[in-house]
Amino acid sequence: MSNLEITFVLNGERVKVVTAPDALLVDLLRDTLGLTGTKVGCREGECGACTVLLDGKPVNSCLLPAVKAAGRSVTTIEGLAAADGTLHPLQEAFTEEGAAQCGFCTPGMILNAKALLDANPHPQEGEIRQALSGVLCRCTGYGKIVAAVKTASQSRK
Amino acid sequence: MSYQFNEFHWANDIKAGQYLQPATLAEALDMLASFGGKARVIAGGTDLVPSLRQRHLEVEALVDVSRLPGMDGIARQGEVVSLGGGVTHAQAASSPVVAEAAGLLAAGAGSVGSPQIRNVGTLAGNLIAGQPAADTSLPLLALDAWVTIASPQGQREEPLNGFFLGKGRTKLDPGREIMTGIHFKALGQGRGGSYQRLAKRKAMTLPMLVAAVVAGVDPGRKVFTGAAIALGPVAPTPLRAAQAEALLAGAPVSAESVAAAVEKASEESSPRDSCLRGSCDYRREMVKVFVRRGLADALAQAGCPLD
Amino acid sequence: MDKTDAKDQVQVLTKTKIDLSRLACAAPAANAVVGQSLQRTDDLLKVTGKLKYQADLPKEDCLHGKILRSPYPHALIKSIKTDKAKSLPGVAAVLTAADVPGRNGFGAIIPDQPVICADKVRFVGDGVALVAAETEKIALEALKLIEVEYEVLPAVFDPRDSLAEGAPKVHAQGNLISHDKLRKGDVEKGFAEAEVILERTYQVPFLEHAYLEPDVVLAALQPDGVMLVQGPMQAPFTTRRNVAPVLGLPINKVRCVQIHMGGGFGGKEDSPIDLGCRAAVLAWHTKRPVYMSLEREEVTLQTCKRHPMIMQVKIGASKDGKLTAFEGVIYDEQGAYASLGPRLPPAGGSHVHAMVMMAGPYEMSHVKVDAYLVYTNHPYGGAMRGFGAPQVHIAHEQAMDELAALLGISPLEIRRINAFKLGSATATGQVLDQSVGLRETLEACEKSFGFSKRFKQAGYINPKSSKRRGVGVGMGWYRTSIGTFGDGCGANVHVHEDGSVLLFTGITEMGQGAFTVLPQICAEELGVCLEDVRLVKPDTDQVPESGPTVGSRSTTLMGNAIILAARQVKESILEKASEMLMVPVSRLRASQRKIFDCENPERSLEFKAVATACMATGKRLIGQGWWAPPMATLDKETGQGNPYHVYTYSTHMAEVEVDVETGEVAVTDYVAAFDVGKAINPKALEGQIEGGVAMGLGYALMEEVAIVQGYTKNLGLNNYLIPTIMDVPNVKSVILEMTNNLGPYGAKGIGEMPNIPATPAILNAIAHACGGRVRSLPADPEKVFWAIREAGGPPPR
Repeated sequence: MSNLEITFVLNGERVKVVTAPDALLVDLLRDTLGLTGTKVGCREGECGACTVLLDGKPVNSCLLPAVKAAGRSVTTIEGLAAADGTLHPLQEAFTEEGAAQCGFCTPGMILNAKALLDANPHPQEGEIRQALSGVLCRCTGYGKIVAAVKTASQSRK
Repeated sequence: MSYQFNEFHWANDIKAGQYLQPATLAEALDMLASFGGKARVIAGGTDLVPSLRQRHLEVEALVDVSRLPGMDGIARQGEVVSLGGGVTHAQAASSPVVAEAAGLLAAGAGSVGSPQIRNVGTLAGNLIAGQPAADTSLPLLALDAWVTIASPQGQREEPLNGFFLGKGRTKLDPGREIMTGIHFKALGQGRGGSYQRLAKRKAMTLPMLVAAVVAGVDPGRKVFTGAAIALGPVAPTPLRAAQAEALLAGAPVSAESVAAAVEKASEESSPRDSCLRGSCDYRREMVKVFVRRGLADALAQAGCPLD
Repeated sequence: MDKTDAKDQVQVLTKTKIDLSRLACAAPAANAVVGQSLQRTDDLLKVTGKLKYQADLPKEDCLHGKILRSPYPHALIKSIKTDKAKSLPGVAAVLTAADVPGRNGFGAIIPDQPVICADKVRFVGDGVALVAAETEKIALEALKLIEVEYEVLPAVFDPRDSLAEGAPKVHAQGNLISHDKLRKGDVEKGFAEAEVILERTYQVPFLEHAYLEPDVVLAALQPDGVMLVQGPMQAPFTTRRNVAPVLGLPINKVRCVQIHMGGGFGGKEDSPIDLGCRAAVLAWHTKRPVYMSLEREEVTLQTCKRHPMIMQVKIGASKDGKLTAFEGVIYDEQGAYASLGPRLPPAGGSHVHAMVMMAGPYEMSHVKVDAYLVYTNHPYGGAMRGFGAPQVHIAHEQAMDELAALLGISPLEIRRINAFKLGSATATGQVLDQSVGLRETLEACEKSFGFSKRFKQAGYINPKSSKRRGVGVGMGWYRTSIGTFGDGCGANVHVHEDGSVLLFTGITEMGQGAFTVLPQICAEELGVCLEDVRLVKPDTDQVPESGPTVGSRSTTLMGNAIILAARQVKESILEKASEMLMVPVSRLRASQRKIFDCENPERSLEFKAVATACMATGKRLIGQGWWAPPMATLDKETGQGNPYHVYTYSTHMAEVEVDVETGEVAVTDYVAAFDVGKAINPKALEGQIEGGVAMGLGYALMEEVAIVQGYTKNLGLNNYLIPTIMDVPNVKSVILEMTNNLGPYGAKGIGEMPNIPATPAILNAIAHACGGRVRSLPADPEKVFWAIREAGGPPPR
């Protein structure tokens, strides 16, 4: 086993960590860095609960070797609210619309939605659904999640 | 013991003793060679990581080719479109070059997995995985694409027709070689394409059937100059319905010739009965529907619609 | 989707005057907290990623537990050798059956499932040995080193085969767990009166809950000899009841602590018993905390499923559409272990529940149902959102449409003629004497959806398309409570001198909103605000016995217990306020942190000031409430009685588009109307409705645990398909309130109801669109395609 030292930007801050060559990003985040907001639901890239943003794009951190984060920027759910605790408009909207039930898919939903709104601030419903199609939710039936993304997009006007 | 331990027990990790990040293609090939076939190339990792976790595959090292120079470009030179070996599904799905040259490939790339998978998974990885119904393999096969493979002996080109040897096996040696490019001739001027997909749900699922179709026509004479029909999963490898294609070559563009090709394509298909992807009988019926729809769509694009 | 306040959509239909002396109902006055769409109390933690699920908690010093699984559906264990595994460095324990300190069996009702199999295995995945090691990797390596010799036995996979003479015996006592009967009137007479008779068989497969959070548990032996079992669990008391005898301990030496669940849907009533017992046995031997988590594939392989059923229906009607008789047979497949399946008198059990509900919410004089619960060598059935009801609704709601077609009347007409109303008698002879809003849900749904008009308009969506549009209706009813002794519910309310409140209940949160709705009821009853109430999370050492969080019972039953507890404190508060204001108690009212004189509202006191005064003068500020519904009855021989005390009613209407060339289905429009008694939190209620419909859609179109010769072929979420955001349409909810005079503020249960009529509404819409009817689920493209073929091909243009 040859461990590797990697440096990357995590939620806006530069971090340097030593990782096993075969560690997956989700485990580095959760176990080594203590960021447990990123969830593990299937470990095969199907549920989307482990979604993080890599250079602003959503990826499944359960499928990504941690080494791939080197030199790049990673955003997790913990990185969305401002330092003073002010919520991101999506976080506000998810609470306002009742879009979170058990909450297990919520970080993945919010991060995929963030990537969408960053690229397309006022998406149509079809675009919202497409952007969130890689995260499964078993509780909500998705309606209030779509509503929350719409609300957040409106609050950004 | 008479059973496979890994079929009933699961790990929460993957195993690879080394993670190597070559700076050049030559270095990457040397690294692979030094493990004598026991290393694997990793690009997006979306196919590789699950098979490592499930212990379907054991490796000593992973060689990451995603940062090699020149791997992520999409370019068109004259008629030929070239995609680098590191081009992701998301790139292909959103590329104006691909959309113009081969809408069926853009559609296929846009159907792979989920947005998160498409952001890292590569077309080359899809080809190398050698699955009978990969969403980008079938359009590329229908486009008569060819690939560039770098090996210790140098570069070579392989046509995709003939590239797939069996389920999970191709002409590329995954422990020693690297796919560096994918090339095909752009559609247009009497050539149209279509991508047809059947699945049990509307996102994030493997297809029950894919039909990728390219039709070449002479609009003046209203005859087929050629046709390519790629189907999967209807055989252990992605299938070109060669006999159906032969029926169409030179045939008039008509409902009758399409109907004959549709029947032939269905006969050529031999999907197995699958409790998850549907019975043989059903999928043979669906081959008819999707080849018919695909040909109609491709003909319309080629400027010679069926009446 | 229009953005409207959910509260505006609630229609109050009745406001019954409630007899306060009889029950724990609060007066239906203007409510300040109840009935409001207040934000969930745990939302902030969820959207910031700070909410800790069990897997997010520290696991330093923990051993990791793993289970060696049977590779055969049915086999004798001839020998097990563990020496090599034990000698692997890092392994703390390798346990076999002989190592279980107490009873080697667990089960929610019958302890027939071995903690570790001793002599034989009964399904693929059965636990043969347990390992605890320093890391999960080592534990997995150790499992590989255990050598087991099996003698494979013939296995049985169909409940009808299982009942046949000479079938392999899954358990020594035989394969029939229970045959229960319902006999009302005389079906022979009823069928003789019928002018049209329909006979059909409907079949549904095993379903996986597919909660997103995989099962996980932590077991740790405390220095005082108490075994702590902690993790996501819907039924901490049932888990405790099982772990104690497995360890040979009295119940008071086991402590179960519930951690917020990433979904449960009934599945985490059962799986924490399984995991909890196994982890506890490892912790008992190693004296170390043991952490045991399942990979997704293991969740599908090991944990309980929704019961598959084969349902035979015979239903008769007179020419005018009046139902005359219903005869049904249910083969309810329990699988390898009894879990929650068996009859628990008087009216518990999946097949009993299915039997009671099988004839549907329709008036009939003659009903006969036989329900068989049968062991096989498949995975085992447990509770899943509706527990027997979703299955039989798929049968009776499709049969109603098929019968209507034979009679030449519309699906709405046949339901209007026969649906329950106030005073109707059910198949068990229960007279519905209050809160029956079924017909109102039908009319409200029709008003919003316009079924009658759309039913006539169905056809190809345009002249060139291969898609046809159709509409379908599904009606349903569902109990509140579980019809058995486990229905008693306790709550403690502590008011402090500063007016802040602690609420103790054993009802668990899995996303349904209990931790918001229950404090809302407490706040309303005390006259404080939601923010003033902190809910103490379920911990069997701290909270009173509450029964399991199942059966759509939490809001209603626990709500009543909370009201009773709050009233004990409120009595002190009002007495003290009466002294302070010199106004009789009868004139005082508490609301929004104030106690005021109804006749002179200017005269008021702060709730906090009164609480301070109570504390200073030694007045009681602690209340304990206990509520159990009226005792259920159900005769063992005739199935007659009052099995459940009140029912929720619902009508769903769906529009689908079916590609008649391929069999692909898209659900394109949806309205669901409910009589919920009272919406305590309308927005949370809508969330339950929308999620339930999505789950019912999955059951209709894609979900099925595919098992071939005992081997499950779709263990991962890549192959076990649940609906994605692209599959579920926007769902419009219509909420009606027919006051339940046995519920808090008139409420009835809602957790399970929404997914029940959804499945048949969609199946009926498919049949309407394309002429083909799928009677064996799921209606995936292939099944729809063949159904269209069977019906003579796509309808003409």
